[in-house]
Amino acid sequence: MSINTAGALPGSGSGSDLEFLELGGAIAARSPLQLFWRRFRQDRVALVSLGFIGLLVVIALAAPLIVEVLGLPGPATQNSNLTDAFGAPLGPSGAHPFGVDQLGQDVMSRVIYGTRVSLEVGIVGTAISTFIGVTLGVLAGFYRGWVDTIFSRIADVVLSIPLLLLGLGIGAACAVRGCLSGTIQPGLGLIIFLIAMANWTYVYRIVRGLVLSLREREFVDASRALGASDLRIMFREILPNLVAPIIVYSSLLIPQNILFEAALSFLGVGVRPPTASWGQMIASATPIFNTAWWYMTFPGVALLLTVLAFNLLGDGLQDALNPRYAR
Amino acid sequence: MSRYIVRRFLWGILLLIVVSALMFVLFRVLPTGDPAALRAGREASHKLLLEIRHDLGLDKSLLTQFWQYMKEVFFHFNLGYSYYSSAPVKDLIKERLPASISLVAGGAFIWLVSGVAVGIVSAVRRRTLLDRASMGTALVLVSAPEYWLGLIVLYLFAADIGKVRIFPGAGTYVGLTSDPWKWFTSLLLPWLVVAASNAAIYARLMRGSLIDVMGEDYIRTARAKGLSERRVILRHGVRAAINPIVTIFGLDIGVLLGSAILVETVFNVPGIGRLNYDAITHADFPIVQGTVLAAALFIVVANILVDIAYAYLDPRVRYS
Amino acid sequence: MVALMRRLAPGLLAGCAAVGLVACGSSSSSSSGKSSIKVAAGIVTPSTESLTGGKKGGTLTVLNHEDFEHIDPGSSYFAIDYEAVYATQRPLYSYQPNTFSTVTPDMAESAPEISADKKEITVHIRHGVHFSPPVNREVTSADVAYALDRGMNPNVANPYFLGYFESIEGAKKATGGPIPGITTPDKYTIKFKLTEPQAPIVVAALVLPVSAAVPEEYAKKYDAKKPSEYGNYQVATGPYMFKADSSGKVLGVGYQPAKSATLVRNPNWNPSTDHRPAYLDQINIQIGGDTNVIGRQVLEGSGLVQNDTPANSIVKLAYEHYRPQLEISPGAGDHYVAVNNSHGVFTNVNLRKAFWAELDREAMDKARGGALVTNVMTHFLYPEIPGFEEAGGLEGPKLDYNEHPQGDQAVAEKYMKLAGFSTGKYTGSKTVQIVGSTGAPAPEDAEITNQALKNLGFHTHLNLVDQATMYQKYCGNVAEEIDVCPSVGWIADFGDPQATLDVPFNGKLIITNGTNSNWGQVNHPKINKAMEEASKIVGVSARATAWAKIDRELVEEAVAVPYDWDKQPSIESKNVAGVGDLWNIGSWDYSYTSLK
Repeated sequence: MSINTAGALPGSGSGSDLEFLELGGAIAARSPLQLFWRRFRQDRVALVSLGFIGLLVVIALAAPLIVEVLGLPGPATQNSNLTDAFGAPLGPSGAHPFGVDQLGQDVMSRVIYGTRVSLEVGIVGTAISTFIGVTLGVLAGFYRGWVDTIFSRIADVVLSIPLLLLGLGIGAACAVRGCLSGTIQPGLGLIIFLIAMANWTYVYRIVRGLVLSLREREFVDASRALGASDLRIMFREILPNLVAPIIVYSSLLIPQNILFEAALSFLGVGVRPPTASWGQMIASATPIFNTAWWYMTFPGVALLLTVLAFNLLGDGLQDALNPRYAR
Repeated sequence: MSRYIVRRFLWGILLLIVVSALMFVLFRVLPTGDPAALRAGREASHKLLLEIRHDLGLDKSLLTQFWQYMKEVFFHFNLGYSYYSSAPVKDLIKERLPASISLVAGGAFIWLVSGVAVGIVSAVRRRTLLDRASMGTALVLVSAPEYWLGLIVLYLFAADIGKVRIFPGAGTYVGLTSDPWKWFTSLLLPWLVVAASNAAIYARLMRGSLIDVMGEDYIRTARAKGLSERRVILRHGVRAAINPIVTIFGLDIGVLLGSAILVETVFNVPGIGRLNYDAITHADFPIVQGTVLAAALFIVVANILVDIAYAYLDPRVRYS
Repeated sequence: MVALMRRLAPGLLAGCAAVGLVACGSSSSSSSGKSSIKVAAGIVTPSTESLTGGKKGGTLTVLNHEDFEHIDPGSSYFAIDYEAVYATQRPLYSYQPNTFSTVTPDMAESAPEISADKKEITVHIRHGVHFSPPVNREVTSADVAYALDRGMNPNVANPYFLGYFESIEGAKKATGGPIPGITTPDKYTIKFKLTEPQAPIVVAALVLPVSAAVPEEYAKKYDAKKPSEYGNYQVATGPYMFKADSSGKVLGVGYQPAKSATLVRNPNWNPSTDHRPAYLDQINIQIGGDTNVIGRQVLEGSGLVQNDTPANSIVKLAYEHYRPQLEISPGAGDHYVAVNNSHGVFTNVNLRKAFWAELDREAMDKARGGALVTNVMTHFLYPEIPGFEEAGGLEGPKLDYNEHPQGDQAVAEKYMKLAGFSTGKYTGSKTVQIVGSTGAPAPEDAEITNQALKNLGFHTHLNLVDQATMYQKYCGNVAEEIDVCPSVGWIADFGDPQATLDVPFNGKLIITNGTNSNWGQVNHPKINKAMEEASKIVGVSARATAWAKIDRELVEEAVAVPYDWDKQPSIESKNVAGVGDLWNIGSWDYSYTSLK
């Protein structure tokens, strides 16, 4: 189970966080970020992954153009002539390389458009959870005491909720009219909300740990002596030192979030039809998976490759941050 | 130590209370399925609805209802009543538990053994082709959604509809006590799929952890003492490196017991996750609430056990 | 996967007023006698199967994807439940498998006696029928009376009781105790006293399982539970019973929810009292499992049937390779798009017509399995219901928006313009709320509907929820003001046109504070009035004519967009001589089916 498991974040179990601090504190001549980038550039696998992700971004942005160039119908173009007399969809052909679904919609076209949902959820969801995690983590690590206690206990609560089950429950409960007088709407927004709620704790724990040690450093004392406000110390002095690890850990969250969206959509509380999402496509392929292999296969492969690319990238970033783990 | 354990337990109970309260808000206060409407069926008259509301205590104040609910959950372990299945939720969960345990126990055994083994080999043979191939495979398995993997293996290998008919397919689960051999074969595919992604995570973790440990001073000392490399790795390296694995193993089992929903759904294993999924498709909210609570309980208990185990296992705790 | 839900008529005001038991809809064979519904060649239908001459003995295994809803005869109201209930329980009257209209006395000895003022009914019940163990004693009229009293017990929560039995004296106020209007002058006689002249509808409803005898002294303690536990401890009067332990406990013995159920022979059943041949020794019902897998097992295996809807791919497979093992039952209800006539944009009749014209109804039927299991629905009375032919048969009324089932953009544009949108596209600001249901093929209904509305320029908001939620919380909840419900359907319990049209389209029957079944909130005074008049008409053909006229008016008002008349497929193994129930969407009847 790759969701909601501490173990799902490669490397998060060991003491890697502190090493970065040594790196950040001791070598002042080159900024840690520069060092980080130098190392990353040498990792060919990670660079290829980055390239692939770039390609995905292009596909997502230029989906309508690509679909047109390939001569495919739009992702929501229904065509009942493409199903047989019993309503079964037809398989791959020249005009429809990935076949069609029960509504005669072109699977390739939908896979291409599905990139949009996955990337949107992956990136926006991660950005929000990172933002929450970083903010609370910095506050907790800096102030310690009751601030730390409250945030950490909240994180404990979140970690003890089976989020996939809860997500399904909320999704079903908030269908149609939304929840809390319309604030929580079903669809992409709800998924992103759930992801943000679920994943900030990982970032929070890491950031809090780092800040706890950073706040004891000389440069913090120095700026305090100069009369800097708490806010300034936290966000101008401490935070810049955390950029690299934050990038690494949030890059590891992206594939988790993409999988989470796909799982929710697979279980029926994802994006609203007819929006194409890979998880939703796999779900609607399930009743006919043994007669229409193409329908479940292609969205699944797209999902696999995308998540793999983000995982490889995350690995590469982590290695660059922590040379000791490098392959 | 005992004080630590007590504190851990109290905190666990508090956590469960908070989660229960959240469930109450989610399923009673938010406009979800009205329990009275569920009970009344499709053609309910207004009068019938009012009567049932009264019977179920839904006409009392929210605070009273909350107290009633908490009292039932914590003092009577009463998780409510499913009108869809006409049975108490507690009984339904109890009935589904063996399947969930079967799935998780078998899967966990496979992923722990294979994950740790591959991790050790990869760490020892670092940077070889073998290492790269296993870590590459591991990463692919981590990236594959398990429900999709499940469909693919069913498509290829299921005895009823597969291309190469080898393993019993979806929905063939039988209880261990009624037919051990059938139980075993019916769970083979689900076990492999559950194990696949987890084994991959464990292999990566084990590898990282072992490489980490092998750089420690005491390993150097052990080597200097002239111990064989095999002995150094197994007696000293692995013993220390396996600690984080133990932690995560406990947590994963706790999480999976209640929420193996995807695998249980694809393979139609009648476990708790499947129960939850069916309940959601039928808008049977008492079961949704009950299964989420049960799953939270497993997670909390697993957390406590892991923390205690960790306190005993970690050499830094033990030897310092 | 999604079985039609049985729906009947809450608050049905007047039944068919003809005298006599078989009067309600007995003409279905004559009025639809042209048999305009074609079932593909070489396929069995319930009306052509043999009811006699089966081989005795053997165990039938039923593979169902879906679970029972209620096995208590007092609350069961679902095709899958009915098969188990009608094999184990004996209501006063019941249907034989090949009819949707002719009723046979079951627990009753003969047709009921109805007084001239239609306010009194007398039914004599059979001698020599015994309850299954542990009760064992002979069934008396008091047991039937108690069963009917249970109909008003909130712990039993019967969904239809008031709809049909409202006129029984004191029924409305009853809460499970004796209903004053039901009396038992002797052990074998039961009398009903009515406040209104409603005897025909009351009599007709005695085929429903709520009239199956329940022993009060045994059931009372279970009925006191909230909800009643009687279903889990039930005793039988029919040829079979749910397997039970010595105390009568069924739950965990003969029924494991979501897993399995077992029907064994009722040792106290006396064949000479019953029309059921009951060939089989035992019926094992396995619940759950993928419909693709179930279907293959049934077609390739032996001694198996599936008793809920097979997957489309399986129907195709059966049609191509196992044709003799496929049964198709026509007259299995209908599906239409409910459109809100009382709130929102579709209060405008021209917009409703434009939508009707635009919708690709052929595509919707194709997604439901194609011509083998569907006919394009062109009006609201469905095949096998009297009045179907008079209302236009398969072709339906010749109106421009009804003539091209694959959708006609030009006609749609014409009506958009008539509605005041000069470009032929909707340019208003309102968003159309669509609530569909999950589970194939309902999502396809919803998506095709959504597409048609978008083609007309509407902004739409499409949501898919569970089917029961769709009915209870959204489409059946007036306050939600849902605009479009693409996956609603109707099956009448009697072969009578009023039972088909009244509840879903009569504005006077809109329920605002409970679960409403007039999903489109159709409320046109002219039609309401015509319905009131038609309900008073006596005589089958006169009723057929009158209701066919109302059907025509419903089409002219485009009160909803019809798309599918269902023909229900059922599958059996090669060695099973299955007998399907025409009255229950073709489901296999356990008391008539045998092994070859």
